[in-house]
Amino acid sequence: MPLLVGAFLSAGAPFLKQRQRLSDGIAILTSGAVTGMCAALVFQASGPRSVYWFGGFRPSHGIAIGIDFAAGPLSAGLAALSAFLVTASMMFSWRYFEHVATHFQTLMLIFLAGMVGFCLTGDIFDMFVWFEVMGVAAYALTAYRPEEKGPVQGAINFAITNSAGAYLSLSGIGLLYGRTGALNMAQVSRELSAQRPDGLVVVSFVLIISGLLVKGAIAPFHFWLADAHAVAPTPVCVLFSGVMVELGLYGVTRVYWSMFAKALGHEQVISHTFLVLGTLTALVGAVFCYHQRHIKRLLAFSTVSHAGLFLSGIALLSPLGLAGASVYVLGHAMVKGALFLCAGVVLHRLHSVNETSLHGRGRSLRLTGVIFTVAGLGLADLPPFATFLGKGWTEESAYSHGYAWVTVVFMVSAVLVGGAVLRVAGGVFFGLGDPPPEDPRMAKEAEEEESETEEAKYRTPLSMVVPAAALVVVALALPFFPGFGPSVQRAATRFEDESAYRALVLSGRPPANLRAPLPPGPTGITVADVATGAGSAAGAVLLAGAALFRRRFRSLARFAQHSRAVRAARRLQSGVVNDYVTWLVIGVACIGAALAAALR
Amino acid sequence: MTPSVRRWLCLAAIAGFAGFYLWGLQGLPGFGRYPGPYGNIIASHAVEQAHATGVVSAVNFDYRGFDTLGEEFILFIAATGVATVLRRLRGERRGVPVDQVGGREQTGTSDAVRVMAVLLVGPMVLYGWYLTSHAQTSPAGGFQGGVVLASAVVLVYLAGQFQAFRRITPVGLLETAEAVGAGSFVAVGLSALAYGLAYLTNILPLGHQPGAVDSSGTIALISFFVGVEVSAAFAMMVAELLEQALVIRETGT
Repeated sequence: MPLLVGAFLSAGAPFLKQRQRLSDGIAILTSGAVTGMCAALVFQASGPRSVYWFGGFRPSHGIAIGIDFAAGPLSAGLAALSAFLVTASMMFSWRYFEHVATHFQTLMLIFLAGMVGFCLTGDIFDMFVWFEVMGVAAYALTAYRPEEKGPVQGAINFAITNSAGAYLSLSGIGLLYGRTGALNMAQVSRELSAQRPDGLVVVSFVLIISGLLVKGAIAPFHFWLADAHAVAPTPVCVLFSGVMVELGLYGVTRVYWSMFAKALGHEQVISHTFLVLGTLTALVGAVFCYHQRHIKRLLAFSTVSHAGLFLSGIALLSPLGLAGASVYVLGHAMVKGALFLCAGVVLHRLHSVNETSLHGRGRSLRLTGVIFTVAGLGLADLPPFATFLGKGWTEESAYSHGYAWVTVVFMVSAVLVGGAVLRVAGGVFFGLGDPPPEDPRMAKEAEEEESETEEAKYRTPLSMVVPAAALVVVALALPFFPGFGPSVQRAATRFEDESAYRALVLSGRPPANLRAPLPPGPTGITVADVATGAGSAAGAVLLAGAALFRRRFRSLARFAQHSRAVRAARRLQSGVVNDYVTWLVIGVACIGAALAAALR
Repeated sequence: MTPSVRRWLCLAAIAGFAGFYLWGLQGLPGFGRYPGPYGNIIASHAVEQAHATGVVSAVNFDYRGFDTLGEEFILFIAATGVATVLRRLRGERRGVPVDQVGGREQTGTSDAVRVMAVLLVGPMVLYGWYLTSHAQTSPAGGFQGGVVLASAVVLVYLAGQFQAFRRITPVGLLETAEAVGAGSFVAVGLSALAYGLAYLTNILPLGHQPGAVDSSGTIALISFFVGVEVSAAFAMMVAELLEQALVIRETGT
């Protein structure tokens, strides 16, 4: 058990040490400590779910007065993923920034501490505290280059939207405490399911998850994400897309399965609500992604789309769906991280992220081009990437629940997103086809994105390519890890077992079903999965080709023009934070109304 | 969205949201009817268990000390973020401190303000120190005390002594103090591990009787370190803001 805390604190200790050695190159020390922590956490994740009481205040008579860390394999795995990505992006930024001020490492490490604490805690208020640590660090990281207007604007949009969400969460927690007199999730769960669910339970559920959905970039709460991603330093984008957004969704899942599942009942309604939100997000994100020319924004919208897919997996409320979403998150974090790092290399060498003006200029970056292309294929769910495995499980689970149409959503999203990324790959790195038409507004946005590194460099340092390549390799190798499939599925089963969790935390009874029977369904890969996965990858390649060579196909050219609907939709992404908050309120009111009508 | 569309949309949504929220509020227990066991347990155990008559502090720094650790780091990271955003950048240089907002009349600080500020600095430092060091006996603590200490520093500026203010707020030193304060909290928690106890266990002797200044073990110590961190963080933020407003300017102007 102390492993858990030890690991957490190894994140805590170095950021203090380095504060005092202000001018030193401490990136190496930092990365090393974080890697150690990552390893410890992975080790922890394979053991039984353990509970650690801070200050030694164990619960007596089922009442918790202290704060606990209660990490199952899934939570610990997510924490390990955060640590891994932080390490990778620290390695990348070693040579990336000319003058790395110590502030950068401090912010990164506390960001990491926040993410780890958020994953592991078993106390709802503690969860909020780490959520805020994570948030404040993220705002500061976004505004890391305050000499330009863009980063400050993006950070303000990000901070205001997310803080508004956080207030909602906090008031939800307040309602919950007013009712149950408890903050420990297991205890809250017991108190809540002892009584009939009434308005208070529904309202506090909606409020708490609203803040988390904002972080999770679910439509209509997703607007901040592209603004923040477009301006944040590229190594930071890796973390935002790779794990921070996913942590928001993890929070939703955790809150639901550790506190509300039994008390709320009505699984069908909740499942439908989340499915609608997920599908909407997936499609909106994919369409916006396809129409982007700013590479970092394009990748940001693809994250929105994937967040929708993750939520759809979670929405099935089945172990297989959750396991699928988890594996998908893992695979996506790796590929998306690699893509952002490659975009960083492009920015470093060619000083632009504008797809149009970069056309054909990336020919010399051969290795980066290959990594980008492979990662793009991974994003389009090509077998045997981990993304493909996760998608397959989710679709299986959806199919068995009678939602076969989910497969269509996954495929459409994969084709659009993968097509967009491959279009960039073909155009920028291989100079295929014709440059896409210039869009004045996007060109202006992309122009602002110049001085992240001091000036264009003539070679790419190894420390920038290696992390990207390593991420792609991990994404490819994960599904072949022995025992990977069954252990993830077992972890998901345990995650959704509310009573076992309660017993473990409150009376220290270890779960009897450590080797629980696997949920029905495949643990490996089925032929149907391979067909849909390969199909969507092929579709993405075709779409990319069509986009690049559209002048040679007259009939296609018309489709490529931006339709009026798309232009109207793009106007919604106005960059005005007032609009985003309005959308936030509308979204909360709608979700609230839907659940209130159904659960009353 | 045009502003008027936005206004109406937002108002409609807020109305819907308010209705929803009120529906939830109805489920709360009535005023004065506290349902939960948590407060009662703490109220009856804290004095005896932690030798702290400041029960709020006992919750903050002992029972739920881990939350406080996180909260302290929120402040720490916010101050670091301010320092990051306001650092002197390429194309900026330091100049002689002057009011850089054009078009307004320069007025000197009035004597009344100067005298009051100077008179208050001493008592404020004392009061801040008192609050920081008496977490165990009153609902005070490092957060409140630290803010008061930092406002004593701001009073020096209000007294019209910007140069004196700059001398007593060297940003490098404040950053170090801030980090030491935050780090010591972590270290206090870690020290329990050396005894094989859980992180943040109260390992120091509790003192003879509850309510004495030397009672309550780590509660007082943690409160002290929080005080260091909070006062340094606030002083640093104010110093950075003033530096940005008064001293730093773009090259070429």
